[in-house]
Amino acid sequence: MAKQPSSRAYDYQLKSGAAGALRSFFGPVIALRFDAPTVVMLAVSLITAYLVLPPLYSVIQTSLFTTKLTGEIDEFTFRYYQELIRELQVVGPFLNTIYFSAGSALFATLLGGSIAWLVTRTDTPLRGLGYFTAFASFGTPFILYTIGWLLLLGKAGPVNFWLKTVFDQPGPIINIYSLWGMIFIESLLWSPFVFLMLAAAFRSMDPSLEEASAVCGARVWQTMRRVSLRLMLPAFFSVVLLIFIRSFESFEIPALVGLPGDIRVLTTSIYLDAQKLPPRYGSAGAFSVLLMFVVAGTLYLYFRVTREGDRFHTITGKGYRPALIHLGRWRYLAGVALLVYALVLLVLPFLIILWASLLPFYMQPSIEALSRFTAKNYVTAIHFPKITDSIKNSILLGLGSASAVMALTLLASWLLVRTKMRGRWLLDLMTTLPLLFPGIVMGLAILRFYLFVPIPVYGTLWILLIAFVTRYIPYGIRYTHSGLLQLHKELEEAAYTAGATWSNCMRRIVLPLVTPSFLGGWAFIFLLSAKELSMSVLLVSPQTPVVSVAIFELWENAQVGELAAFGVIWTVILVSIAVIYYLFARRYGVQQS
Amino acid sequence: MRFQFLSAFVIALWVCLAPPASQAASVEEITLYNKPDRQKVLVEGAKKEGKVSWYTSLIVDQVVRPVKDAFEKEYPFLQVEYFRGNSERLVQKMFAEYQGKRYEVDIVDGTVTAPMVKKGGYLQRFHSPSLSEYPAELKDPQGFWGVSNVYFFSLGYNTRMVKANELPKTYEDLLNPRWKGQMMWSTSRGSGAPIFTGTILNTMGPEAGKAYLQKLKAQNVAKTTASNRQVLDLTIAGEYPLALQIFNHHAYISKTAGAPVDWMPHEPVTATIQTIALAKNSPHPHAAMLFIDFAISEKGQRVFQQSNYLPSHPKVPAKQTDLKPGGGRFKRAFYINPDDQYDKGNEWVDYFNNVFVK
Repeated sequence: MAKQPSSRAYDYQLKSGAAGALRSFFGPVIALRFDAPTVVMLAVSLITAYLVLPPLYSVIQTSLFTTKLTGEIDEFTFRYYQELIRELQVVGPFLNTIYFSAGSALFATLLGGSIAWLVTRTDTPLRGLGYFTAFASFGTPFILYTIGWLLLLGKAGPVNFWLKTVFDQPGPIINIYSLWGMIFIESLLWSPFVFLMLAAAFRSMDPSLEEASAVCGARVWQTMRRVSLRLMLPAFFSVVLLIFIRSFESFEIPALVGLPGDIRVLTTSIYLDAQKLPPRYGSAGAFSVLLMFVVAGTLYLYFRVTREGDRFHTITGKGYRPALIHLGRWRYLAGVALLVYALVLLVLPFLIILWASLLPFYMQPSIEALSRFTAKNYVTAIHFPKITDSIKNSILLGLGSASAVMALTLLASWLLVRTKMRGRWLLDLMTTLPLLFPGIVMGLAILRFYLFVPIPVYGTLWILLIAFVTRYIPYGIRYTHSGLLQLHKELEEAAYTAGATWSNCMRRIVLPLVTPSFLGGWAFIFLLSAKELSMSVLLVSPQTPVVSVAIFELWENAQVGELAAFGVIWTVILVSIAVIYYLFARRYGVQQS
Repeated sequence: MRFQFLSAFVIALWVCLAPPASQAASVEEITLYNKPDRQKVLVEGAKKEGKVSWYTSLIVDQVVRPVKDAFEKEYPFLQVEYFRGNSERLVQKMFAEYQGKRYEVDIVDGTVTAPMVKKGGYLQRFHSPSLSEYPAELKDPQGFWGVSNVYFFSLGYNTRMVKANELPKTYEDLLNPRWKGQMMWSTSRGSGAPIFTGTILNTMGPEAGKAYLQKLKAQNVAKTTASNRQVLDLTIAGEYPLALQIFNHHAYISKTAGAPVDWMPHEPVTATIQTIALAKNSPHPHAAMLFIDFAISEKGQRVFQQSNYLPSHPKVPAKQTDLKPGGGRFKRAFYINPDDQYDKGNEWVDYFNNVFVK
């Protein structure tokens, strides 16, 4: 109904070609209601479809066909689905998978969310530390981070040694090779992501609602529970969904932490069965197709919940800077909590990696080991072949994919949130699907696609950029979607009324107001792409080395010390970028202080 | 295929009729060329090609660079370009490229690379003078691959946690209850537990082998997808006193650095081989042949030796001689044929999964 006047005006304008006065009157309205969004919708959909559909096709095909040795499609089969269903009926791994994913999603959200709340909404000291920790810890190469934790909490690690001494026990007290160990490390890994997203959402909270609650006599906790947290529902949903899915299909933690303790999840079963030649990715394909249905269902529910988008608007025409909550005496305790978070998430694993990098072979921390300190590993790392090119390429790719993803998904989210176009749920689904593609299947799909399609990107950085952008669209969309939901449309309407064009309005109203989500997502994708491995190993060429592949090579073959030295150097580079970014972002409002 | 034979025939005919100066020979003619002027022909052809492209699973820092440098010193007009990945990735990349008709690779190497690419139909047979110096188990009977270096598997142990008198000296000793929950191995198809499983089934025979593996299962060997280098590092760190199925030269390198670790061979010692082969549509066949010649020659093998890799050439000992059979610490090696490793590998993986994982 709302569209009617404008389309009638549009028709009218077409019929009476000379109605200059009318056009100038209706022009902005037409631009708002019809032209710009349609064009944007078309462009965004086409780009997304171009990026997402070829790998999607490939994933489905992989799950339904056997392949020949050379990778050509062979016979149609339901075998992989049958195997998967048989696998699902084995209760142990299936339950473990559910516990692991749900546990990680909840614990990471709780942890990252609490820190985000302390940092953005309270007068806790040391708030800047929260941002720094999030950025820096996410910069540490993933494999190295896990190894750091295994060395710290392992049977012979310093934590167990210390606990043994304190409690006077003969055996190790903590068993890291357990379901709890897996959940612990996975949650820590994801908590920076939660932090960045929820910090953005908390910052964009409408204070008047909380004030109203306070005026009505609610306590801080009641206000939190019944007002603030409910307003954050979309953001919460986004992080829980993403972490649940990612943990469900994650492989590294289950393989490195769970397997030694005989905790099997679905992905480890699939991986161990698929260790065959010629490589078969059918089971992995079937697994992700199954997940797609689950996610499509979840997204549908999410869509229903957020359909009444007005309820989540927290940025309106009124001032929206939320007031800081004064914690009183508790603020010091909160400060300590922040310190502990930084210590656990960042300092401890980093220290143990630094420690390993300075030794000729790994030794448990001791005075004796100090005498063996050497810079040998660093010399090896610095002389690693093509290291400067690798670093340059990885940074370029990070900048490129973060910017491209955020630009594309901001527009896509705007369409999803703001317009009532039909079929936009398809766009939402399409932007979420890459989350479910197994990295290796997607890498192969992109490799094959560009070897056959006459677009000359094979062997260049562009093919990596295309792959990264596709892979990280889902993260961009969740950041921008929850950011935009908070933005009331009255602000844009005011701009149009004042005569702004669509692009003007996007640039001067929408973009500045969603900056916290936008920059949070940008940083996250930058750091993710610096670590991407499963596609990179297939897509790099001799001329385009990247850091993650170098780390992988070291991981497969080098000693812990060499890997650690390389990791320390890379972490320092990423953290320096994060600091520059942080200083920049502070000016543009990611953090207020 | 028929077209290629036909074109090869046409080219051969043309080569016979045309004056010898124009060297438009097919890849096959170049790689199988075996006349006294072979070296001269290759060098002249290679000068025009200028480079050779090598898809390798060897470690760049440790051995790819030294080999590249030595080869470029030998033939200053050639540049070696390399791409590093594990065997399976290399093969997948090459297959995809060939299907897209992009012929960029000259040389491929890896443990199961050659049999896979051979089965895919993308390998080129070749002749190389040094091949005659190798035993039958270290070259392909059809001439599709040679061997650049070998790997031997052994037990690795933490010398602080395992006393000399309790060290497991045989496979049977691993079944001692003392070692329950004290061992770790990698699940890697190419260098971990499946290979161990295969060796046991092969050397003990199916019945005795299966009985042994069932008993080993009761020892709760910890599994990880990490490489056997990491497994050894965890042993050095004290997480698990025994590391099953690690490379003996890794233990040796760490021991030399002062780590509390050593290796213990269990006869017959399992060995895998690093095959080196030539791509069917190699864009630089002359240079590629010079490269293979060099890699498997005594001179090239010394580069592997000096890089602390174990040379495959019978006359070139390891830098630390006892790392190879006959060097004093073990007599017999069971070289797993790469075709077997490819063909039977799936059974070993299945068997390992059924016994130790499920």
